Order: sequence, then C-alpha cells, then structure tokens
Amino acid sequence: MSSSTAERDWSERSRELGRLLARAGLGDRAAFATLYERTSAHLLGVVMRIHGDRAQAEDVLQEVYVNVWRAAQSFDAAQSQPLTWLTSIARNRAIDSLRRAQTQPRLHSNIIIASADADDKETDVYDTVADDAPGPQALLTRAADARALHACMQGLSAAQRQSVALAFFDGLSHAEVAEVMRQPLGTVKSWVRRALLALKVCLDAAVQRDAAAAEKG
Amino acid sequence: MDYSRPELADRLAAEYVAGLLRGPARRRFEALLPAHATLRTAVRAWQDRLMPLTASVAPQQPSPAVWQQIEQRIDGGTSTTAAAAAWRRLAFWRGFAGVASVAAVALAVALAVPGPAQPPLVVVLGPATPPPADAGGGGAVVPASFVASVSPDGRAMVTKPIANVRIEPNRALELWALPRPRPGQTPEGPRSLGLVKPDGATVVQRGRVLDDVDALALSLEPSGGSPTGKPTGPVLYVGKLPAPAER
Repeated sequence: MSSSTAERDWSERSRELGRLLARAGLGDRAAFATLYERTSAHLLGVVMRIHGDRAQAEDVLQEVYVNVWRAAQSFDAAQSQPLTWLTSIARNRAIDSLRRAQTQPRLHSNIIIASADADDKETDVYDTVADDAPGPQALLTRAADARALHACMQGLSAAQRQSVALAFFDGLSHAEVAEVMRQPLGTVKSWVRRALLALKVCLDAAVQRDAAAAEKG
Repeated sequence: MDYSRPELADRLAAEYVAGLLRGPARRRFEALLPAHATLRTAVRAWQDRLMPLTASVAPQQPSPAVWQQIEQRIDGGTSTTAAAAAWRRLAFWRGFAGVASVAAVALAVALAVPGPAQPPLVVVLGPATPPPADAGGGGAVVPASFVASVSPDGRAMVTKPIANVRIEPNRALELWALPRPRPGQTPEGPRSLGLVKPDGATVVQRGRVLDDVDALALSLEPSGGSPTGKPTGPVLYVGKLPAPAER
C-alpha cells in the first residue's frame, strides 16, 4: 500500500465512483444521487459502529453527504480512492459528533480481555477482510493489499489487535480502551502505538515484495 | 512541537486516522493539516492503510428520509435545475463529441437566474482535431474531453478531464484563453492560464479569467509549460464560450 494511490490500480467500480464524484463536484445531482445509492449503506455501517444509535448515526450520515456535495470538487483522484476518501470523512464526522454528544460508546467489537491465549477465540470483523465476495473491499483496496492487511493484522499480538480494533471500529479513546480492557492507560497507549507501527512496517514490506515480484515478471 | 519531523508526523497521523486523537488535540491537528504537507501525506498514507479494514463492517441501509433531507439541504432552488439541465445536455454532447470533425463543442448554463445562487458557467472542451500522429508518439494521447467550470463571478475556474488523459511524463497540458477579436485591431494572441492536470481537477485562479475571452484551449507542451509564452505544441482541446449576452 503506497501513500499515493495510483488510479490505474483501482477496480473499474472504484473508477466509476471517481467519475461520479467528479461530476458531483461540477453540480451533477443525478451523479450525486447514484454515488449516494452506492456508498451510503457502507458509510452508515461505519458510522453505526462508532455511534450505536441509528437516529444519531443517520444525522451524522446526512452531514457527511452534505459535506461531500460541497467538497466533491476537492476530491483528488490522483491522491485517494473514492471510497477511502468518503469513509475517512464519515469516520471524522462520527468521531467529532461523539465528542459533542458525550454519549457512552456502544461496543460492537468482540470483547476479549487481553490475555496471551485469547487468539483462537477471536472472530472479529477483520477476520473477513480477505473475503473475495463483491463488496466495499474491491472499492477500498486491491486484492493483494487486502490479503497483506489481513496477514499483518494476524501478525499482531491479540492485545495489540484488540486495542486497535476497539479504537478504530468502535471509536473508543485511549482511556476508554484501557477501561474496557482493564489495563493501565500507559500500557494501552503503548500497545496501540506499537500495533500501528508494526502494521506500517508489515504493510510496507508487503508492498515492496509485490513490487519486486512485479519486476521479476 | 516540530510537526515536520517525519516520525512525529507519522505517529500523530496514525493516531488521528485510527480515531485516537480527541478533543483539543484533534482540533489542533486538523488546524495544522492545511499548512503541513508532511502531515497531509502521512494522513493519506494511513487512510490507505486502515480504511480497507472497514470493508468488513456490515452495511446498514439508511432510511429514505436521510436522502430526502440531504436533497433539501443541498437544493439551491432553480440553480440546481439549471445545472441538472446542463448535465443532460452535456451527456448528449459527450455522445456526439466522438463523432467526426466537430471542431469544438461549447455549452453554457443559461444564467437567467441572478443572485448568489447563480450556477457556474460550464464549458466543454472537445477534441480540436483528430489527435495528431506526432502528439508525443504512438498512442501517447487518448482522445477525451475536458470540462471547465467557471464561478459566476469569473474569478476562478476548475478544469477536469471527463476521462483521464494519458500524456507522456515529459509533457504537460497548458490552458489558454483566446481573446475575442476586436474589429479593426490586430488579434491578440492566446493568454496562458497555467498548466492543468491531465488526471484530476485543477483550480485556476486569475482575476476575471473570462473577460473578453472567446474560447478556451488546451495544448500539449513540454513539462513546465510553454517556454515561449505562446502555445508551441498541438492544440488538443477547444471549447467556445457563449457570447456575454447569452451568459
């Protein structure tokens, strides 16, 4: 996974989303409606993981698309995949509104209190990351990158993986992750930090392996 | 803190994208983004890394009321209708543009509605001629069209390719404004409006870009733009502006 996403590597459906966004940026309402049809269920799913309450999550979703309509011109196809861009906007909105609402986060991640033997019991969402079924996967990443991400997540310790999942999927803060996992704040902070660093190293290595393999032909 | 330090930038970006920067720290980070390219690059890289995790989140179908509310909020009234009508015409012209030697295809949104809700002026740049064989070697240029959308006050313009144009790495596309000829005077040459991206949106900001302008054109130039200040390469796309009375 590289920092800039080469558009030629996108799936055809992803390029289609890019075209819809470009047209929405020029004021094309029909293209925007199609974009909404194709992406709103994914974004609402993401927002609802952070924001358990459907009514609140739908309010957030509304804000997200009003923003997307206004900001569509700033979408840069040379920099981001469309669904990555949209999902990032949705997550930011959801996290911002969490702060405003001061709501109690609702947990959806499979809660496992960190212990060395917790590995086999985990059935959390990232286990399905490498699934080949048609869905957002093809819009977010290339198949090879999805496999790499899955492998790299599996390479983390159970505690690291869970702390990242609680933060990323459920929108928990460091302090909330510490509370859920019943660990000192400092411990959790260092788990998360090391987990993110390990993911980066692992994913960057996978990209380099891919590139080397592609060169060999 | 020195946010241009790569390790710090990367750690903060990772925590931001993972959702772990909260409250004032989050707002401070967001305020820094526009000024720090290192941070923006790091954030995009982390979005690329982490967003694929959301692929496994179960989708949730929003209730129909959500879309209705969105529509109400983005509805600028008549301007939206004009823009929608323009796009229907654009779709027609796009089908048409590929056919034969249509020299230029121009299109304007009728600005019948005054006031702040004025829609942008949309100009379609179609292929000037069949792509010249020497435009950078065999198959270096794929025919496509550009859309230029000019703000109602004429101060800014956004250009976008309808389909991405592939050009050789040592070439660039330069945008030109062709001044309207005045009777009895030597016609002015084209004015450069700068380079535009072949594969994405470019914002062109020049005071009154369209004053006395007859047409827009894109030419193929060496990377960095025309060395002479006048088009040196083939003109690939041209779009005529409507006369001011029709705008």
